[in-house]
Amino acid sequence: MQRAYMSALYELIRKDNRVVSCLSDSGTDYDELIAREFPDRVINFGISENNQVTAAAGMAAVGKIPFVYTTGAFLAYRSYEFIRDDVCMQNRNVKIVGMGSGLSWSTLGATHHATEDLALLKNMPNLTVITPASPKELIAAVNAAYEIDSPVYIRMGMSAEKEIYDGEIDFEIGKNEVIADGEDAIVFVTGSIVSQLLEAKQKLNESGKTIKIVNVHTIAPLNKMAIASEIEKFDKVFSLEEHNVNGGLGSSIADVIAEFGLNKKLTKIGLHTFGTGFGTHSQVLKANKLDSDSIFDLLNANI
Amino acid sequence: MDYSMLTKKIRKDIFLTAYSASVAHIASAFSIVETMYVLYEQGVLRYNPENPQDPDRDYFILSKGHGSLALYNELSRVGFFDKDVLMSFSKPGSILGGEPCYPNTPGVECSTGSLGHGLSFAVGIAKAKKMDNRKEKVYCLLGDGECEEGSTWEAIMFAHHMKLDNLIVLVDCNKVQKMDTLEAVMGIESIRPHFEAFGCEVFEVDGHDIDSIRECLLKDNNTDKVKVVLLNTVKGKGVSIMENNPKWHWRLPKKKELKYFMSELDISEEEIRVCKELT
Repeated sequence: MQRAYMSALYELIRKDNRVVSCLSDSGTDYDELIAREFPDRVINFGISENNQVTAAAGMAAVGKIPFVYTTGAFLAYRSYEFIRDDVCMQNRNVKIVGMGSGLSWSTLGATHHATEDLALLKNMPNLTVITPASPKELIAAVNAAYEIDSPVYIRMGMSAEKEIYDGEIDFEIGKNEVIADGEDAIVFVTGSIVSQLLEAKQKLNESGKTIKIVNVHTIAPLNKMAIASEIEKFDKVFSLEEHNVNGGLGSSIADVIAEFGLNKKLTKIGLHTFGTGFGTHSQVLKANKLDSDSIFDLLNANI
Repeated sequence: MDYSMLTKKIRKDIFLTAYSASVAHIASAFSIVETMYVLYEQGVLRYNPENPQDPDRDYFILSKGHGSLALYNELSRVGFFDKDVLMSFSKPGSILGGEPCYPNTPGVECSTGSLGHGLSFAVGIAKAKKMDNRKEKVYCLLGDGECEEGSTWEAIMFAHHMKLDNLIVLVDCNKVQKMDTLEAVMGIESIRPHFEAFGCEVFEVDGHDIDSIRECLLKDNNTDKVKVVLLNTVKGKGVSIMENNPKWHWRLPKKKELKYFMSELDISEEEIRVCKELT
């Protein structure tokens, strides 16, 4: 994901001199490559996310298009009020890119996890919230974010996320992607955990069950109508996210069910408390019952 | 030059606006009256009331948003909106909020009031202006109590490192915050050593002496350092019972106290009666 982000950002920096990369000592080797060619366009604010966010709002006020990049947990939690007052309330054209989504800072533990960020940010007026599922979708999201003149939060993982799309993708903010078709249940999913779901789907298929998978990459504004019309076709509805089950995608799906008066039972799959354990991303997903086997077991038992 | 009649008139107008709204941070506005007057009426800020978004304008950010009435009063004095608008302050449908609110008010560059935000916003503007080789300056007015917010120092550290000599940080050093003096609350006798330690070029002036403030602000910054002007002021300046008294942070006078405001700011019974009708 990081490499995909940097390549997309590099292209934007190259084509539009208003685009600026704002870091809080959060750069990688890729940033150094961009900075070598465009030294004035990569700004390191030091370890100070609040100043990074609000200074970016100030830069946007005079026409820059800042991409604010650091660990999502630091942005969503530490800088929440700065994002609210200075970026969203004033509708400043700042792109906030939170890396290390969900449990993907797996070796470092819960201080670095972003597992309640959607709950905080999806309700923020003016803010578009996108959770790309794969490197290709991330590149498309960065380009789409650049095209709109309003704030965007992009929730991205680290380095190990798998590509799920073959060939070109047709990304549009607010347009859900049907990843797989099936008849026995529908699963709404967001973020790179979709690859675990695809593995679980294979096992379900082997046991004769099929599921429809809808990738809700845009959490805000949520395409409620599209979600409601999908839900109407199924008796069994699931949501899956690398996030707390309260306040994230699952809660948004529950809102749709209630608002549209759909009499359906929803099973929300995700975290129920802080993430636990250390290790590779796969190991930490397993420790938190969000790996493909755990997802399979849960779906299989309920379908 | 004697500005006492003029500043008394400004304080009177601010008070009457607050009184008709039945609410306001009067003391916080009174301590910055002279500073605001110098910025807008003594040739410091470049602005264009006909086109508030003029790309050649300097920027002014009132980070200590509680002082909004002093800002609004100046904005109306120099023509950003009619004086009548002031009487709508903090009422339904008004363009003037208790704290400055963007984009409601012509001349207000960003929403402030939650302390510790305005300086970072100003720093972002100053950095962007530098990147574009623009000459406009950015002025940001902080409260000394506000400097207890950690984000202030994140912003200053960055501004110093980036050599933002187009940024002028003004600090209203009235030495009083909501509950007590800065010394009692946080052991801060003077904020000067803090800014010096962060590498700023620090100046100190009497914040109620218009000529001194003007001279200091018009002086060229010959260094590449951030210019910090500490304005030594009196919170609640102009009404004796309010001066230096924390209890006036967020308060209107009761009946017995009103006579001090009326006599010291030359307010008539008739003017008070009109204000009451507006509440």
